[in-house]
Amino acid sequence: MNTLRKSKKNIGFIFILPWFVGFLVFKAYPIILSLYYSFTDYNFFRGVTTYTLQNYKDMYVNQTDRAALIVTIKYVFMTVPIKLIIALGVALLLNKRSKMVNFFKVVYYLPAILGGSVAIAVLWKAIFNDNGLIHGLCKMVGMQAPKFMTNPFWALFMLGTLNIWQFGVFMLIFLTALNMVPKELYEVASIDGAGRMKQFFYITLPQITPIIFYNIVTGIVVSFQDFNGPFIITRGGPLGSTTLMSLMIYNNAFKTFNMGKASAQSWVLFVLLAIFTALAFITQKYWVYQPEDDGKK
Amino acid sequence: MKNKLLFGLMIFSSLGIMTGCGKEKAVTHTDSTGKITYEECTLTMDWWGGDTRHEATQEAIKAFEEKYPGIKVEVSFGAWGDWETAKAAEYIAGNNPDVQQTNYDWIAKYDTYGTTYLDMNTVSDVFDLSQYSDDVLDMVKDSNGGIAGIPVSITGRTFYWNKDTFEKAGLSVPTTLDELVNAGKVFKEKLGDNYYPLSINAYDRAILCAYYLQAQTGKPIINEDNELTVTKNQLEDGLKWISSLEKNHVIPTIEYIDGEGVESMDKSGRFINGEYAGVFEWDSTSGKYTAALGDNAGNLVVGNVFPELKSYSKVSLMFSISAKTKHPHESGLLLQFLLNDPEGVKIMGNERGIPESKAAYDALLDNEDISELSAQAHKAVLDSDPVFWNPLFDNSLLKGDTAAYNVVFGQLSYGKDVAGNSYGVSDASEELYNTYMQVLSEN
Amino acid sequence: MSKKKEEIIVDKFEANPQYQKLREEYLYSINKRRISVHEREEDELTELEKSKYVKKAKRIRNAFIAYSVLIIIALVVVYPFLWMVGSTFKDSSRVFADIGIFTKKPTITAYKTVLNKYGGNINIIKALINTYTYVIPEVILTVISSLITAYGFARFEFIGKKVFYVLMMSTLFFPQVVLYIPQYILFSKWHMVGSEWYLPLIIPTAFATESYFVYMFIQFLNNTSKEYEDNARIDGCNYLGTFLFVVIPMMMPVIITSAVFKFTWASNDLLGPILYVVTPAKYPASLFVKMSMDSAAGFNWARILAIAFISIIPNVIVFVLASNIVVEEVGSEGIRG
Repeated sequence: MNTLRKSKKNIGFIFILPWFVGFLVFKAYPIILSLYYSFTDYNFFRGVTTYTLQNYKDMYVNQTDRAALIVTIKYVFMTVPIKLIIALGVALLLNKRSKMVNFFKVVYYLPAILGGSVAIAVLWKAIFNDNGLIHGLCKMVGMQAPKFMTNPFWALFMLGTLNIWQFGVFMLIFLTALNMVPKELYEVASIDGAGRMKQFFYITLPQITPIIFYNIVTGIVVSFQDFNGPFIITRGGPLGSTTLMSLMIYNNAFKTFNMGKASAQSWVLFVLLAIFTALAFITQKYWVYQPEDDGKK
Repeated sequence: MKNKLLFGLMIFSSLGIMTGCGKEKAVTHTDSTGKITYEECTLTMDWWGGDTRHEATQEAIKAFEEKYPGIKVEVSFGAWGDWETAKAAEYIAGNNPDVQQTNYDWIAKYDTYGTTYLDMNTVSDVFDLSQYSDDVLDMVKDSNGGIAGIPVSITGRTFYWNKDTFEKAGLSVPTTLDELVNAGKVFKEKLGDNYYPLSINAYDRAILCAYYLQAQTGKPIINEDNELTVTKNQLEDGLKWISSLEKNHVIPTIEYIDGEGVESMDKSGRFINGEYAGVFEWDSTSGKYTAALGDNAGNLVVGNVFPELKSYSKVSLMFSISAKTKHPHESGLLLQFLLNDPEGVKIMGNERGIPESKAAYDALLDNEDISELSAQAHKAVLDSDPVFWNPLFDNSLLKGDTAAYNVVFGQLSYGKDVAGNSYGVSDASEELYNTYMQVLSEN
Repeated sequence: MSKKKEEIIVDKFEANPQYQKLREEYLYSINKRRISVHEREEDELTELEKSKYVKKAKRIRNAFIAYSVLIIIALVVVYPFLWMVGSTFKDSSRVFADIGIFTKKPTITAYKTVLNKYGGNINIIKALINTYTYVIPEVILTVISSLITAYGFARFEFIGKKVFYVLMMSTLFFPQVVLYIPQYILFSKWHMVGSEWYLPLIIPTAFATESYFVYMFIQFLNNTSKEYEDNARIDGCNYLGTFLFVVIPMMMPVIITSAVFKFTWASNDLLGPILYVVTPAKYPASLFVKMSMDSAAGFNWARILAIAFISIIPNVIVFVLASNIVVEEVGSEGIRG
């Protein structure tokens, strides 16, 4: 009887064995290796020659490196809020409708499927270049379109639109969340005399804060790692204004083969991401609705 | 269940075995002269270039395959943009082709220990090294004294003008700096804001700036001893001069050039329709530009290197054999055919500039196949009494998407830096000078 | 007196919905007399006072506004894609001149040259074949390995399970970039860079390296009762059998969704191929589209867009086929998270 019990305990482990092997080989070992390299001047064709903190210092001292960091933060702060607001807005609109709901869901989700592709990046280049679609549309209404490819501010904005265009995922999640808010809450509220606006702010919003939280974290993780857009459309853009960290790391690692420096930069990116995620988790208590709070709030 | 697993294992292992297989039988042939024996094999080869170069090379290879039946050559080729990145990956993977077109500075970058490129001396039985002058072979030696590649031609940059546009403005093509500056003014007045006598990107500007400074010092900007021969002030002077070209409507701003979003000038619509009336390019690449102009190819004329500038010349490109090749003998045969054998050379033409190989040069001369444009351009560079070129000029800290030349000249043109602060000539010269110093100290 | 009555009624409301009607009538009578103390929206009052007819009219008006906005947004979202398709039928010089989707003079010149070979011996069709040569194994391996791993986590208890779980979840937040470089060095040591069979891309997927899918499966399993599985075990199935014949059919929606996701991500992957696919003849579609964009002379937009369009047709087809399932799952999966 004892042996049966034991085997029951171990069987689970067998199931996760492949994952664990993969984790050790493809994640744990590389992470340690990467950390090691970040403290060296490892160049792929020359090997390691010295140990140094210079790579990390450069992130602070070297202007181009620092700029990449700032650009990435700007990009994340631009895309995540806008994307979520649009997603929530559309979800609200779609919420109580009954006709053609599936049609809309599919249409809004389409960009999420296509958006990461090289094809769409090429399309974006066609739309936003100096003679492109946007230029033509603006001409029609008599406006002069901004130069998306060469103006540092607009270039980043243009990349952001590609990211925001893919709000479908978040919209679907919000939609399901909205559907799960208990209907009785609304009924009680309307009887107590709360109008639609108040209902939204005091019932809907608080109820879906866990989902908002989940979407924010996911959105940040995704935006931090955007690569296809900057790489194909602007190649780092006018004056480095679209050189996101992921692109800079790629350039350092695979164009100049400065793997030491690139490793250090990727660690900085990782730490930054960890900080933002941690911030979100810590502040969770204060604004995310926890089911246990029902009695207190 | 177990049976299924076993079955699966069998399938996987047999797949594995199949992919591993593929041995070639060593069949020997003798060529038409009866003197050279070679093995039947498949060689891999690659190169970069424009469409005309691709055609010529492929034709030459076909002729080679006919002359040496039994040797097949698998080719791959592409445009220059991003080519080096792919090649670097190949060197890492260790599966670079048998024969490759290589760039001069790749010896320093990828062949540090002489283990990437085969020493051509080892195939000198089939490849005639005597066609090349000792000077030129000296340039392409690797760290072990072996010959890392065959220098196909020597090249330098000069101007190419679209004489049609100049005529429209009532001018002849510029031969001195003053004429060029004047042309800027006239173009703006007579033809309009979007017409420029010359269009050059950041890397072009770096070279032009070097030309300008070399004329003043008479020395190569980076000399054989890896020293920078200009002071920071002189560098600032050069940058000021480049800036002035922009201000005087001689060259467009980097912003304007980039706005078109094309990879290189020959693909630019503005060049094709004459708005950019001049480019500053290698003497070996005139073919690209005449091809781009299509029917208007006749408009392209070679300009001299202005007396106020001094050119440098460098090995344009080389052909190297991989040190890991399994068929050095046959690879040597291929190169001999393409570079020294009059038969092959005539097909290859001068898509890669005027060949250094004496035999090739004579063959092309015979055929009257040296394109006028190439010959003129080559002469223009030589007339300027070119100086030595140190490959460190193209070091990855300087030349590259996010490297110093792009950053410095880009920011200089925009007038502000990445962070948005104003950026002037003194900032530019400081940054460029420091980068040069850094490169030279690391090497 | 009235206040007390209200309190009683509210309490009883929670217990017995019948009172709701009573309450409504009561409020109705009160409101007629009382001056509005609370901030009440106009329509709140009117809904009670006016007839159902007005209520319905309001609903229709709201619906109309909502649907109009939704349609406008949908158009904006879909327009780039439609424009792209339309542009492939225009003459290259008119791609930007006619900004509408349709042009007066449609032509298929773009498509005539679309099968051109670039760089030696590869065209878009071959590139697509290359892509699916590794995407399909990737999808299959990912689903299988993630499923196995998730089943282990969700249905069993074993030593150190919590630790492993945390480890697995932590990799969700890991920027992939950190891993690219050492993984590249690793693969080059194993001589797999430039592998003919795209090994560096396929092998990791056999080990459930993408925690996103493992997580998705775990959540689904956690929310499904073990009843069916237990019943199967009682009926004499062993663990493997239960897994194959009970769990998998039950999880079909999530499996399909994951497969579609992985299919999409893998076929759009650019960084992987750039690093590990070295010979142009083996380029997948993503690299091919990029390469054809770079080498197009005079920027023949119509042809570039045509090639781009062809490269994403398979993705669109796959998505449309599975769209209903995917769209439902994405929503619920977020909730379970």
